[in-house]
Amino acid sequence: MKVFLPALLVVVTVLISASVKADNFNVDKVYHPYVLPFEREFEWRLTSRQNDDGNVLMQRFSYGHALSERVVLEGYIVGSRDEYDDFGMEGYELEIRWMLTEQGKYWADWGALFELEKQHTTDDWEATAGILTEKEFGRFSLTTNFMLVYEWGETVENEFEGEFRMKYRYRWIPEVQPAVEFYAAEGYVGVGPAFMGIRRFDGQRQLKWELGFIAGLNGDSKDHTLRMSLEYEF
Amino acid sequence: MLSVPYRTLIALSFISLQAKAAMPEAIVEIKNHLFSPQEVIIPANKKVRLVFINHDATPEEIDSFDLNREKVIFGNSKGTIYVGPLPPGTYRFFGEYHPNTAVGVVRVVRPEALPDAD
Repeated sequence: MKVFLPALLVVVTVLISASVKADNFNVDKVYHPYVLPFEREFEWRLTSRQNDDGNVLMQRFSYGHALSERVVLEGYIVGSRDEYDDFGMEGYELEIRWMLTEQGKYWADWGALFELEKQHTTDDWEATAGILTEKEFGRFSLTTNFMLVYEWGETVENEFEGEFRMKYRYRWIPEVQPAVEFYAAEGYVGVGPAFMGIRRFDGQRQLKWELGFIAGLNGDSKDHTLRMSLEYEF
Repeated sequence: MLSVPYRTLIALSFISLQAKAAMPEAIVEIKNHLFSPQEVIIPANKKVRLVFINHDATPEEIDSFDLNREKVIFGNSKGTIYVGPLPPGTYRFFGEYHPNTAVGVVRVVRPEALPDAD
């Protein structure tokens, strides 16, 4: 583990920085590779990125429903604030998460992610395929997301991009689980503290929350992202 | 002091522990929204297969923050939860649909402390 983690970081950072330049990367969330049957959820996410170019605010609202014991489908409406400070719809997205292995059965747990996103006002598309992993180390968990993104459309250049996300979490108590998150994409490397927690109610109802503060390390004098999310499962 | 049926149930769980040398297995049955046995004893530092057999017609969701596991067991069905390797200790689990009745613990002990280890 002592060698594995730094080596993984170096390899991923070098691979991603060697690619073409970034255009629209946003810190979002690190996905876990797990799905539960009967899973239904509403989710709200917010990311606010402040850098030398100003503030980019993004919100996502979604509804997810398990299609089977191992697959969940989620639909998103993405909103953002434009340069005139008006908040409006930016796009919509469909996402499938697929739990590939039983939790704890193998050395690590594996899942897959597929996303298709379309911009609301332009004919621009983005398709993503990703591999999700999670490995337990006692009360710690290491979660990684390797993503391959293809963009095409009328205002974007047709290109492949790579993304890497990682979370190292300490499962302290259900309500508060501190973590460190790391994000790398073309032209972006960010790291920072994050917290997540879960509060259970009757039956299957539960509320999950996440909060993270990611500092960009890619050369800008100022590049901070605050991200938060609330997820209600029922 | 444990009652005789309770001790019997714990003892039964040891029998299944000997199952496969590669991965010990313990069986927990769900009946009338109760786990049986309610206490499962497994060896430390080994991966163990916990097989839940649900005799109820309704599903149960096994949940444990201690074990970091969540798994739905459908009605009249069975499902497996893989745990460990774990250090000695007590790890609680419960059924999300019947949290007041469906409660249990996994007690992880050193292999030499297992009751059938002579």
